[in-house]
Amino acid sequence: MNVGFIGLGLMGRPMALHLEKAGHTLHLWARRPESLVPFANVNAKTYATPAQVAANADVVITMVADAPDVEKVCLGADGLAAGGKAGLIVVDMSTINPNAARSIGQRLAEKGIEFVDAPVSGGETGAINAALTIMVGGTPAAFEKVKPLFEKMGKSVTLIGGSGAGQVAKACNQILTGVGVMAVAEAFNFAAKSGVDAAKVREALLGGFAYSKVLENHGQRMLDRNFKPGFKAWMHQKDLRIVMEEAHRMGLMLPSAAATAQAFNAIVGSGMGENDSITALQLLEKMSTPEAK
Amino acid sequence: MKIGFVGFGTMGQPMVEHLIKAGHELRVWSRRAASADFAVALGATRCESVAEVAQGCEIVCTNVTASADVAGLAAAMRPGLARGAIHLDFSTIAPSVAREIAAAHAEGGVDFVDAPVSGGGVGARNATLAIMWGGREALAPRLAPVFSAVGKSAVRIGEAGAGQVAKACNQMILVNLIEACAEAAALANAAGVDFSLVREAMLGGSGGSRALEVFGGRMATRDFAAGVEARLHHKDYALLMDEATRLGAPLPVAAAVWQQLNALMALGWGKQDTASLLRVLETAGRQ
Repeated sequence: MNVGFIGLGLMGRPMALHLEKAGHTLHLWARRPESLVPFANVNAKTYATPAQVAANADVVITMVADAPDVEKVCLGADGLAAGGKAGLIVVDMSTINPNAARSIGQRLAEKGIEFVDAPVSGGETGAINAALTIMVGGTPAAFEKVKPLFEKMGKSVTLIGGSGAGQVAKACNQILTGVGVMAVAEAFNFAAKSGVDAAKVREALLGGFAYSKVLENHGQRMLDRNFKPGFKAWMHQKDLRIVMEEAHRMGLMLPSAAATAQAFNAIVGSGMGENDSITALQLLEKMSTPEAK
Repeated sequence: MKIGFVGFGTMGQPMVEHLIKAGHELRVWSRRAASADFAVALGATRCESVAEVAQGCEIVCTNVTASADVAGLAAAMRPGLARGAIHLDFSTIAPSVAREIAAAHAEGGVDFVDAPVSGGGVGARNATLAIMWGGREALAPRLAPVFSAVGKSAVRIGEAGAGQVAKACNQMILVNLIEACAEAAALANAAGVDFSLVREAMLGGSGGSRALEVFGGRMATRDFAAGVEARLHHKDYALLMDEATRLGAPLPVAAAVWQQLNALMALGWGKQDTASLLRVLETAGRQ
């Protein structure tokens, strides 16, 4: 298949390379030319604009930072809509506001281009190991066409519903992981300040109802005091901003997510945004009595 | 002075009346012509477009609801604005949007002043608004005749956008305090104690505040008809929380209050008074 790929960063680069390895021809455009260097010796063609990518591809995948970037790549001057033939499928794997995704989808549909939102969970490691969790919103027909591509990048691929539904699922994922990271950090800080070994607490709780993947994975990294990303705190702040914008728009009460979003504001504001989101533990330590008990 | 004015809501209409009474020559436009009839009846000139309003005006005022509305009006008036003119915006909008408009106007030699107000409909009617403005300091003497006609105080906070930062702080303190009053009322009610007496006792002490006086009063008498429509406070919280995220400033209490406002909107009280935060607590606690 001729696959366009735009957004060749930490996540996008390994994802695109998996598709090439599976025998697909890549069609690439990058804002920064140096992003194209890793593709010099593989089956990939490069272009001067997203429109040219769209003209040569059956499917174009975008993996960029936020809604305005997706909007610009899709609908800006020389964007995908300017070059895409009717029947083109654009798959956005970025994490953006669900409402923005629906709006972009509608405007692409007016040009006969189908839009699928397919945000991912699993971070850079998941991208490198082709083990991403992919949450998809779009029509069943479009989903079936692009599913073989998803299966080369992820190990869990789910069609959640219509346009925007993938982003809704991702927002739910970010509520659970954001609030979850805070909960584990609070529990570990509570244990340590009470003079109890947090590692033992984790081990005991893994078998009970408080078990979670966050307790297991993020919790272990907190114990190792390994704050290297992983998933950067500023990105979690951005994702929670999306969650809170949607809560505001629809009139939803999300008190725990709101409190967690403020902790991430503090983390980013105090210059810890480049750390993994488990740096939340360091925020709590800074705000707690050093030698309590 | 020749002054343009666009936006004749609860706030804008009495402000226009005060400006005409102070002897200024007003040029007006509104999307629905009828909204400006009162001003024309008082002697204002009706214009066919925002650009036409701006023609020959030293100051063009806007007073509308959303950031996008102000940005739209700013773009529309630009062809009519003379170099050296001032666009004076009384709306409550995002500081970042205010700065963007200021930069765009500056290219044509036009000044933008953000001058959000506090004091509500009553303050507008009595010309007792508290005005917090951002813009070049040198503009102060030219703005003074307008400010003195509609308000009782005008404080320059800083450059363009700074007025909106001050307004965001104002809204946060006010609504956080309304929520605190609602929680006090809920606690008193749950304990079977008369909140109107609690309020009366507290007004003289260190727990007293304007919020307790005005909004606490409405809670005590269960008068939820809008003084201030809660949906406007809800809108303001989106602006200030977005700014907090952009700046990396943690606002934990405001974030919690924001969620109570979301629930208030969900329960259908957006067009009623923000004292309805008491009813949000009662709904959550009801068996």
